[in-house]
Amino acid sequence: MSVLEARSLVKTIGTGRALRTLLDGVSLSVGPGELVAVLGRSGSGKSTLLHLLGGLDHPDAGQISVAGEELTGRGRRRLPAIRMRHIGFVFQQFHLIDELTGAENVLLPTRLPGAPAGGARRAAELIERLGLEPVTAHRPHELSGGEQQRFALARALVNGPELILADEPTGSLDVENGDAVLGLLRDLPRRAVVIVTHEPDTAAIADRVLRLAGGQLLADGRGP
Amino acid sequence: MSAPRSALALALEGLRARRRRAVLSGLGIAVAAATLSVSVVIGYGLGTGFHRATAAAGLPDVIVRFDPQAAPRVAARIAALPDVARYALRLEVTNVGIGARGHQRGDAVAEVLDAPGTHQGYAVLSGHDLGDRGSDVLVEQGLASAWGLALGDPFYVDGLGPQRVVGFAEGPDDVGYPLGKPRFYLSRPAIDAQLGAQADPRVDLAEIWLRNPAYLSEVLVQARATSFGLHDIRFATRSGLRILIDQAAGIVIDLLVALSLIALMTAGVMLAVSARAEVQRRLGAIGVRRAVGATRAYLTVAHALEATLVALPAASLGVLLGGLATVAPAGRLETMLNEPAPRWALAGPLLLAWLAAVLIPSAGAAWPAWRAAGRPVARLLRGADVASSGAGATTRGGVPGSSPRLRGGLVALGARMVAARRARLAVTIATLGLSAAFVLLLLALASELSSLETDPGALGKRYALTAALPPSAAARVRRIPGVLAAAPRYEVQGADSFDLGETIDVIAYPGDHTTFEAPALVSGRRLRGGREAEVGAGLATALGLTEGSTLALALADGSELRLRVAGVVSSLDDDGRVAYIPASALLGPEPAAPSAIAVVLAPGADVSTVLAALTRLGAAPTPVSTAVGRGVPLVDVLRTILRAIAIVDGLVCLYALVQACALTVQERRPAVAVMRAGGGGVGAIVRLLAGAALAIVTPAAVIGVLLERGVLGPALSHLAESYATLPLGAGPAEILAVLAGLALVAAVAVVSVALDAAREPVIRGLAT
Repeated sequence: MSVLEARSLVKTIGTGRALRTLLDGVSLSVGPGELVAVLGRSGSGKSTLLHLLGGLDHPDAGQISVAGEELTGRGRRRLPAIRMRHIGFVFQQFHLIDELTGAENVLLPTRLPGAPAGGARRAAELIERLGLEPVTAHRPHELSGGEQQRFALARALVNGPELILADEPTGSLDVENGDAVLGLLRDLPRRAVVIVTHEPDTAAIADRVLRLAGGQLLADGRGP
Repeated sequence: MSAPRSALALALEGLRARRRRAVLSGLGIAVAAATLSVSVVIGYGLGTGFHRATAAAGLPDVIVRFDPQAAPRVAARIAALPDVARYALRLEVTNVGIGARGHQRGDAVAEVLDAPGTHQGYAVLSGHDLGDRGSDVLVEQGLASAWGLALGDPFYVDGLGPQRVVGFAEGPDDVGYPLGKPRFYLSRPAIDAQLGAQADPRVDLAEIWLRNPAYLSEVLVQARATSFGLHDIRFATRSGLRILIDQAAGIVIDLLVALSLIALMTAGVMLAVSARAEVQRRLGAIGVRRAVGATRAYLTVAHALEATLVALPAASLGVLLGGLATVAPAGRLETMLNEPAPRWALAGPLLLAWLAAVLIPSAGAAWPAWRAAGRPVARLLRGADVASSGAGATTRGGVPGSSPRLRGGLVALGARMVAARRARLAVTIATLGLSAAFVLLLLALASELSSLETDPGALGKRYALTAALPPSAAARVRRIPGVLAAAPRYEVQGADSFDLGETIDVIAYPGDHTTFEAPALVSGRRLRGGREAEVGAGLATALGLTEGSTLALALADGSELRLRVAGVVSSLDDDGRVAYIPASALLGPEPAAPSAIAVVLAPGADVSTVLAALTRLGAAPTPVSTAVGRGVPLVDVLRTILRAIAIVDGLVCLYALVQACALTVQERRPAVAVMRAGGGGVGAIVRLLAGAALAIVTPAAVIGVLLERGVLGPALSHLAESYATLPLGAGPAEILAVLAGLALVAAVAVVSVALDAAREPVIRGLAT
């Protein structure tokens, strides 16, 4: 059974003569343990697709389900709960909170209302697994880019989501740190991972590579 | 494009991009401008009211009241005085029945003018003055407003029948209706023309204008010396009247001025920090503009213009609304005080208030822009963040090898976020603390007014009743069940021998007067010897008396008493112009001094039983009136004003908290967006902002309570101590009310900002 199921997604932006169709009938299915990379140029609609898949934005048409839960048609109250339990986000800019240490940033989602129990234990395990123990008490500005992205990855994983959505996860990292982060994403057990990127090298680690162009999602055919 | 037009275009562009922020800033400016406007309308109106009234009415330098005498006799006495420029005589008839427009009163005061014409000590506001003929009356403006009288209306006067209202007048020698009794003016020649001339026309009031008011004291001394044949003389000087009127308005004006300063400071500071945050966020854009050649002055002007464009309509709206909301109640208060409304004289002060409300926000925006634009362009382009999360990183949240912890969760995170802007946090706390302190002060004052209105004991009066019985009846009264103590209470009017304009209410008891009246001792000690006096704080202030001074009392029969001041007490009676002396000292020169039996009731005594027993003794018992009993309408107006100030103060608090929460959310949009992307809903944002609000409100509440109890309350008590002891330290009930109010304001701010933040698409926050 797929963790992520998206069918016939349509998304337009602008109105009148400025109307632009970013996604035109996009469908995507990702199973557990599968890593899918979506390649595309800047402005091709990659991030928009990721936002739709994560319930951060609404499609004009089409349906999305994550871990068996339908996202489309859900109200604003229900969507956050689905995101909390089933979806983790990794951003290019990390978006760690300045006032919190690395460990506290990881713990933040566990303190949200309705978060699953056992967050502290899972956070400790993730910090250990991602090799962040020596820098748990450091604030974001005291961390390297790689360390910041690993903390951001731990934060995305701490509530045990089945789906990880990563938007240009190596875009702000050097090659070495970028590779390390990709390796971690590659080795996530039992999780469906979708990476959007414009870098073919990043996409190279994926089980399946799809190309987004002209609003259509096409098989790239360069997967392993 | 010219530089000014280009700067204007940049400012407009900034406004379009930040509409919500502009609206919030505009609201803050409008609140501050409205507060200023309220302060100006009330403060200026009351502060200058007496001056306007005396100028309009031509108030005499001295008003002399005495027992009714033949007018020619009084005229002869006045003619003997030096330096008299002119005078007017009238008969003041009390308890006159009147009726008009369906209203009736039986306690009106008819001012019968002996020779109507100019210089009667009142101003005719509309209609015309009285003449020698016709059934005409001039009605005091307060009465006319309360009864809805119009010129030409019939006005029924007991004994005269229907008269015609020919004008409305204000006489600043007394407060107006309903604060005072209803008053109207009649012409004696006109009455004589209607009813036939009296053989021996009498007068009981003389208004005297001097050629040189500097000689007032000398004239008063001379008046006392040549007043033989006139009885029960009481003098009222212009300065004495002014003190009386000003005391009512003084506290209100002080409060308003202080509050408007706080509101202005709040708005100014909040707008300045908001502008600074805005500039900080736009450092990159400022850097780019500097890099392509924009001057520092150009960028500063653009930011100032942006703030001015917000401030102009907001300040105009605020000043207009504040003015409109206050002009009517202020006018009512002024009418009660028999003072004309300032009308167009308000335009100048209101314009100044409007200018302040525009210039302060503009300057608050220009200054950080000027400072930011002066930084090196390279630094600006890096857009260095203002977050104070740099050096000094802590190990909070866990040490290597230990289980990670996030103490306090989202609430603590919110507190830490708001604390990251230390200067802003300090200013917001200070603002809120001051506002809370002022609300506490207002509540304490309102509570004090209530206790003065309902509890004579608040003034130190321990007797509950007086009975019109001779002193010898005291023993019989004491035997009535339920009576704890009874003694003759002598009360006469005296004057200071050195300054005859200062009338003094002289009260005397045989033995310890504190059994019956124990007004709080401000300084010195209680009476011990037979030649000592306790004087009211108002009298002590007026005459410069202190412990050990000599009080020289001129009594009505011309005799003089010299007493040593043992202590100064506070009393609201007669504005604190009272002297407590031993009965033995008074009865020597005035053995027939008027008296009544003062009765102290035993705890739990049945008042009706005691009243019935006193009536059986032939007395007409009278319950003790409270200090403000006669001035209930004034107290009501004061309460209304205090309530209005408290509401505005509450709005200031709300604005400060909303601004603090909104700025926190605005500056931390990515953090909030990440939290929402991770599953945080409105509840999570509420918790985050609750932490921010708690970090502000908790210290502010502590500061507010300490400030009120330690500084503001004692300071205002000190202001009022010349005529009363007002213990203005807030009690537990007031403190609880303010804490609840702060919690409510914080809740409103948190929920409104959280709902607003939750409406923003998550992806927009992530894109910041």
